[in-house]
Amino acid sequence: MKLRLLLPLSLGMGVVSGAFACSSAQPVAAGGAAGFASASLGGMSNLAGAGGANAGGASAGGVNAGGAGAGAAQSACPEQATPQQTQGALLSLSLQLVMAGKPFAFGQPNVLPDGGSLVPLNFRFYISEVQLLASSGDPVGVDLVTAAGVAEPYGVHLFNAEDDDSRSFRVLAPAGDYTGFKFALGIKLACNQQRPASLSDPLTDNSQMTWPHTGGFLFLRYEGRYTAADGSPNAPSDLPPVVHMGGSIEKEFVPHVTVQGAFSIPANGTLEKRLSVAMDEIFKGASADIDVSDVAVGLLSTPESIAGERLRRDLPDRHVFVLEP
Amino acid sequence: MAKCTVKLTVLVLSLSSLAACSSDGAGPAEEQAPSLVVSTSPAGFPKGSNVELAPADNALTLDRATLGKRLFYDPRLSRTNEISCGSCHQQAYAFADPNAISTGVEGRTGTRNAPSIVNAAWGKSFFWDGRAHTLEEQAGQPIENPLEMDLTLSDAVTRLAADSSYVAAFEQAYGELPSESSLQKALASFVRSLVSGSSAYDRHLRGDDSDFGPQRKRGEALFLSEKAECFHCHPSGSLSNEGYFNNGSYTAGGDTGRERVTGRVGDVGKFKVPGLRNIALSAPYMHDGSVPTLEAVIEQYDAGGRGDRATDPLIKPMALTSEEKADLLEFLRSLTDEALLQDARFAP
Repeated sequence: MKLRLLLPLSLGMGVVSGAFACSSAQPVAAGGAAGFASASLGGMSNLAGAGGANAGGASAGGVNAGGAGAGAAQSACPEQATPQQTQGALLSLSLQLVMAGKPFAFGQPNVLPDGGSLVPLNFRFYISEVQLLASSGDPVGVDLVTAAGVAEPYGVHLFNAEDDDSRSFRVLAPAGDYTGFKFALGIKLACNQQRPASLSDPLTDNSQMTWPHTGGFLFLRYEGRYTAADGSPNAPSDLPPVVHMGGSIEKEFVPHVTVQGAFSIPANGTLEKRLSVAMDEIFKGASADIDVSDVAVGLLSTPESIAGERLRRDLPDRHVFVLEP
Repeated sequence: MAKCTVKLTVLVLSLSSLAACSSDGAGPAEEQAPSLVVSTSPAGFPKGSNVELAPADNALTLDRATLGKRLFYDPRLSRTNEISCGSCHQQAYAFADPNAISTGVEGRTGTRNAPSIVNAAWGKSFFWDGRAHTLEEQAGQPIENPLEMDLTLSDAVTRLAADSSYVAAFEQAYGELPSESSLQKALASFVRSLVSGSSAYDRHLRGDDSDFGPQRKRGEALFLSEKAECFHCHPSGSLSNEGYFNNGSYTAGGDTGRERVTGRVGDVGKFKVPGLRNIALSAPYMHDGSVPTLEAVIEQYDAGGRGDRATDPLIKPMALTSEEKADLLEFLRSLTDEALLQDARFAP
C-alpha cells in the first residue's frame, strides 16, 4: 500500500528557536514489515519465553499465574535491576509541554496560530535507558529513581499528562560536568515482549500503553480534539488527532533521543532542570512526508499507528525535547 | 495456543499469623479456615492478588471482611433504616443495580447508575468520575450522600456503638470500638473480597476453551481489533485500563463526569472505564443507565456514540455487520461468572 503524502506542518513554529539546546533521535531499527505486531490473536508465538497465557486453578475467583513462565525474558527486564549508580545527586527533570514556544495546557483549549484551538485529551510516553553524556564524550548510565531515590520499576518512567506526579523524572547521577543526556523514548525489546498481566506498574494495562494480546506496548500515545476558528471540527492534515507510536515485539524498535545542553551535577543534593516537550515537533513528525507503507499492515494500518510510525522515523530530525537553561 | 503453565497462587490465609504479624491493631487470631477471604487474582489482571493489594493499614483479614459484609447488608447505615449498600449492589446482578438510577432513602434518586463493584480490589479510583482514590475513601460516601443513605458517618458510628455485637466485631477486626475509619475500612475489606474470575472468558484465558467456541473467539478477536477498538479502554484480561474516556454517551448539557473532579474542559463527558466481568448481568449500561441492553450498547458504539463533539477521537462509526455484532455480543456474554451469583460467601 502506498500511503498518501501529507502536507508539511503549517503552524509556523518550526524548530523551537532560540533554544538553549536541541535534541535529536535515532530509531534503532528503521522498520520492516516482519517485526510488526499483528492484530491476529494467533501471534502469541512471537512472544517466545514471554510468559504465555495466564494460568490458574479452579478455586473461587480463579487465579493468575502472575508471570509464571516469563523466565529468561523477564530476567532481561527485571522489575528491580542492579543499580548502575549507588551515590551522587538527584538530577530532576521537569517536563513542560509547549507548542509554538508557549505553554501547552493539558485538558484545556490551546489557541493555535491558525486561530483554531486544540484540547489534548491523552498524552503519555515512556522514558528509559537514560545516559548522561560526560564532557569526555563517554556515556554514563544512570538509574531512573523516584523523588525518594528509589529505583523506578523496570527502569522505566511513564509520563502521563493527567498525573502531575509523573511530570518529573529523576536520575541518580555522579558528580561532574555533562554536555547533555540521551534516553529511550519507549521501552527496550525485553520489556516490550512481556505480558502486562505479569508485570507491575508502569508496565500494566493501567498504563493505557498496551496493544491487544501480544502486541507489546505503545511508546508514546497522544489524542486530542481540534476545533477550527470557524467552529468546525476538521483538523488540518498536519495536526493528527491521534498518534500511537510503537509496534514491534521482535526487534529493538525504540527510538533514542539525545538532548544537548551543559549542566553540572553536584556531589549531593538535587539539581532541578526543565525539559520542554515541543508538541509542534511531535505533530511535525507524526505528519511527516515519510512512506511507511512497508510496515502499514495489521495494527499499523490505522491512521494513528501510521502517524506514530512516521514520528518514530522522523525523530532524528525533530527537536521534541529541549533542555531549558 | 501456547501451553499454559499453571501456578496456583490461591493462598488460604492463616489468620493467626496475620493477626500476629499485624501492626495496625488486628484482633486476636481465629482458628477456623476462612471462606470469605481468599488471596486470588483473575486471569490477566495486573500483578498482585486482592489480599496483596490491600493497603498496609487495612490488611485483608477474614474478621474485617466478615464485619464488612455485615455492614454492607445492614440498612441501619441509612438514616431511615431502609437502604443498605446491598440494596443497590445486588449479588443477582453481579453487585450492580438493575435500575438505571438507584433509589435512596425516602424514594430519592441520584443521577448515575450504580456500577458493579466486583474485582474492585484492582481499582485505581472509584465512582464514575474517579473522585475516590481508595476503597476506604469510597466506602463512606454513599452512606453520607443525601440522595443515597443520608446518614452521617458520625451517626452511623453511634448506631454501631450501641450494638454490642458490632462492638465485639470491631474489636475483633480492628482492636477498637467502632469508628468512622474502621467502618470504612471494614466495608472496603468486604468489597475487596468480591472477586469474580470463573467466567468462560477466564477459563479461556487459562487455556480451557471448552465453553469458548468459535463465535466467542471471533467476538474476542473483533473486540481486540483496530476495527472495534474496544481494547483501547478494555484491554485483554482485566478489561479495564482504569482510565477515563468519553465513550460517546455524553451529550451537551449532561453529566460532565470527570470534569467535575479535574475542572479540565478536556475531561467533559469522561467517565471511568468499567471492568466488563459479568457485564451481561449488570444492565442497564453507561454512567446514567441510559442504554438498556448489550445489543443497544453495541449499536451505540457502532454508530460512533451519540454525536457530541467531546466524544473521544477513537470512538468512530464502525459499520459492523450483523454477524460481527452477534459475535461481539456472544463474547460479552462469555464474561458472565455464574458461580459469583450463587456464591454463599458473598450473600447476606
